[in-house]
Amino acid sequence: MKLKTNKLKEFREKDKMTQEKLANKIGVTRQTIISIENGKYIPSLPLALKFAKIFKCKVEDLFEV
Amino acid sequence: MEIESGTRAKLMYGIASSMLILGLLLNYFNLGTSNFAGFSSVGNWLIYLAFVGLMISTVIALSKKRRAVDERMEFISTKALRITFLSLFVASFIIVIIDGIKAITIPYHMFMSYLVCGLLIIYFITYKILLRFY
Repeated sequence: MKLKTNKLKEFREKDKMTQEKLANKIGVTRQTIISIENGKYIPSLPLALKFAKIFKCKVEDLFEV
Repeated sequence: MEIESGTRAKLMYGIASSMLILGLLLNYFNLGTSNFAGFSSVGNWLIYLAFVGLMISTVIALSKKRRAVDERMEFISTKALRITFLSLFVASFIIVIIDGIKAITIPYHMFMSYLVCGLLIIYFITYKILLRFY
């Protein structure tokens, strides 16, 4: 399965946040952020909710199947 | 479900201590065979394993380095475990065929050691390969 929309990188760059900083905030490794941004790994619901909370948006604004 | 580091340490020390006590009891009551897995008795073997366990537990407890484990790593490790489990079946099948062609005569404990080491190597390699794909 692949994500139709993945705006994580877009949102992160808009917030001027580095991958390292975002990874530390979420509690994952930087490699995980890279994998999600490149569409290699699909985040779980709790992780997607954490992203949405940090970027103050809906999950569907970030990811779409 | 993740086990807390304190609980894990207690569990490891508990298992190692019970193995040590069991080994001492077996030696005291002179139970078990006189030659087991290269050791003079089952008790001695258990004592050896208990000491190794205690050493590992102490090293883990002393090195306070916290390893970051996230859901992607757990996902990959689950996949690697599944592949390792599958390879166990394939290996068993191949071993049966080899045994049919020429009887395997190596001691049982050596055979099990090779098998366990082989599975660990397969798991490690699979994990490292999968890390590149996810």
